[in-house]
Amino acid sequence: MSTTQTPPEAPAGPSVQRLARQRSLWERTNKATLVMAGVTLAVFVFFAAADSAFLTFANLSNLATQVGPVLIVGVAMTFVITAGQIDLSVGSIVAFVAAISAQLLVAGWDSSLVMVAALLMGLGWGLVNGWFTAYQGIPAFIVTLATLSVVRGLALFQTEGFSVPIASTTFVAKLGTARWLGFSATAWIALAVVVLGLVLLHATRFGQYVIGIGAAAESVRRAGVNVKLVTMAALGFSGLAAGLAGLLIAARLGSGSANSAQGFELTVIAAVVLGGTSLLGGRGTIVGTLIGALLTQIIANGLTLLSVSPYLTPIITGAVLVLVVWVNLRGRDLAWFVQRLTRRA
Amino acid sequence: MAPTGPGTALPGDLLVELSGITKSYGPVKSLRGVDLTLRRGEVLGLVGDNGAGKSTLMKVLAGAVQHDDGEIRVHGEPVRFSTPSDAQAEKIGIVYQDLALCDTLDVASNLFLGREPKRGAFIDRRAMHEQAARILADLHVKVTSTHQEIGTLSGGQRQTVAIARAVSFAPDVLILDEPTAALAVAEVESVLKLIGDVAAQGVGVILITHRLQDLFRVCDRITVMYEGQSVDDAAIADLDIEKLVGLITRTPQPTRTEGSRA
Ligand SMILES: Nc1ncnc2c1ncn2[C@@H]1O[C@H](COP(=O)(O)OP(=O)(O)OP(=O)(O)O)[C@@H](O)[C@H]1O
Ligand SMILES: [Mg+2]
Repeated sequence: MSTTQTPPEAPAGPSVQRLARQRSLWERTNKATLVMAGVTLAVFVFFAAADSAFLTFANLSNLATQVGPVLIVGVAMTFVITAGQIDLSVGSIVAFVAAISAQLLVAGWDSSLVMVAALLMGLGWGLVNGWFTAYQGIPAFIVTLATLSVVRGLALFQTEGFSVPIASTTFVAKLGTARWLGFSATAWIALAVVVLGLVLLHATRFGQYVIGIGAAAESVRRAGVNVKLVTMAALGFSGLAAGLAGLLIAARLGSGSANSAQGFELTVIAAVVLGGTSLLGGRGTIVGTLIGALLTQIIANGLTLLSVSPYLTPIITGAVLVLVVWVNLRGRDLAWFVQRLTRRA
Repeated sequence: MAPTGPGTALPGDLLVELSGITKSYGPVKSLRGVDLTLRRGEVLGLVGDNGAGKSTLMKVLAGAVQHDDGEIRVHGEPVRFSTPSDAQAEKIGIVYQDLALCDTLDVASNLFLGREPKRGAFIDRRAMHEQAARILADLHVKVTSTHQEIGTLSGGQRQTVAIARAVSFAPDVLILDEPTAALAVAEVESVLKLIGDVAAQGVGVILITHRLQDLFRVCDRITVMYEGQSVDDAAIADLDIEKLVGLITRTPQPTRTEGSRA
């Protein structure tokens, strides 16, 4: 059968080109992301005007370091949420990896080994989440809620709740204080993860299947794709990213604590959803996650500069999250609204 | 294997043989022993009541559902499909009744889902869209752009994209589960013509439809299912609409003398 291979003198030359023509940049842009980019810019300008310390290189560099862990895990979380899943355990994994890595350093492990171990621990927890979700059919919400509790519990048990200091002579500690072109290792690594995420989501089959699974997992399965493996990989990726973030946070603070990164998962999910990734799955944007992560951290950074009580930050983060989820679930309406406002006559 | 079926078919002509296929969903026995054969270049109509098990049987043949008992032979070889890709490897293509598309992916991505053209490790989007456009133009599918999201297409457009997807695999066996349910008159005609064209090239086609008049236009043979079993198998030449309705509804239809019941 050659219906498709050879168009025997098909009169379809120009129409083929017309069909395949790329749409305009405007049509391709995620409108929810665009709105958030505007909001982020406005918040940025607001803090720049409100406090002269905000728009200094030192503060911006500091901001980039603060954004780093949220961004690293946010990129991975974008895959998880786009696939129609959720990972609530990333904060606990960050704390676990931070605490255990510090203990391994204290126990005399070489930094290089500890770094590998940190990534493997993160990946391992992610794969546990992924296996129960994809192969045992337990909703990721339940699985990761359980590991949220178990993983932090193990870290607390292991460290008895004490913060474990990291000797400043170790490579890990030096990594925490290193600067290249004025920016920390965390910031540069986060940038690399963003680029990786962009390529992975938009240019590979893996990304394509993640989006497809979020839209209609059964359709992707019937297309011959190993849906369980892709789903497990997405959750494994978020665990790995949390492991990396845990290592970098411990390195920067010079200690690892089982009590660190409380509520981190909410910040990350807020960042992802703020950026325009759909909580219902099937639609994801890494650029959006970058914007969302920046927005959450600009607010946190700006509020600190304005000497707002630090106890207010979680309240504001939580409130922003609810607001964002509300907008996100009505995202189609919002996109439609923006489209109507901006439609050319 | 000694196919002693009707006609003068050579063993090599047999594309698909299903025998004694059963499938239960818990207490629900969807299939309770189905036999079906399909020859090269043949168009087989598969009919039966709602819930007779037609779609389930076709999902078994496409690897989307695993049967409990019975045997599938393709080209005379016994096969066991544990995933849809196993069936794809045997060149079995299917248009599912529910289409199996992804709403948030664009037309080209849906056409190539699971077999995206690659350059190195990356999807070659340009090639994918060009090939998609060519497929759509060849089959006269009425969409405006390969970049359009499937979810924004009309029901009929979605159905024609699903058909284009199945046909573009160049299958040996093409399964169409109610492919014309959402189509306008002209599109139904072009699907019927497509069925004739691919059958002429040697593809075996299984057509499920409730539009009985279409069966008489394209089918060579009809297999009837009733409550999970294959109950009849007749050449189209031996049937008329009334007889066929009788076979589907399992009511004895006195068709020999016209109007005897009216
Ligand atoms: N996943 C499932 N779980 C439970 N029961 C199922 C499932 N799939 C199908 N069935 C049952 O199997 C029977 C056959 O369904 P099937 O879809 O094969 O019918 P059909 O002949 O295609 O009907 P229609 O003409 O309405 O499309 C039905 O009673 C249906 O309820
Ligand atoms: Mg059906």
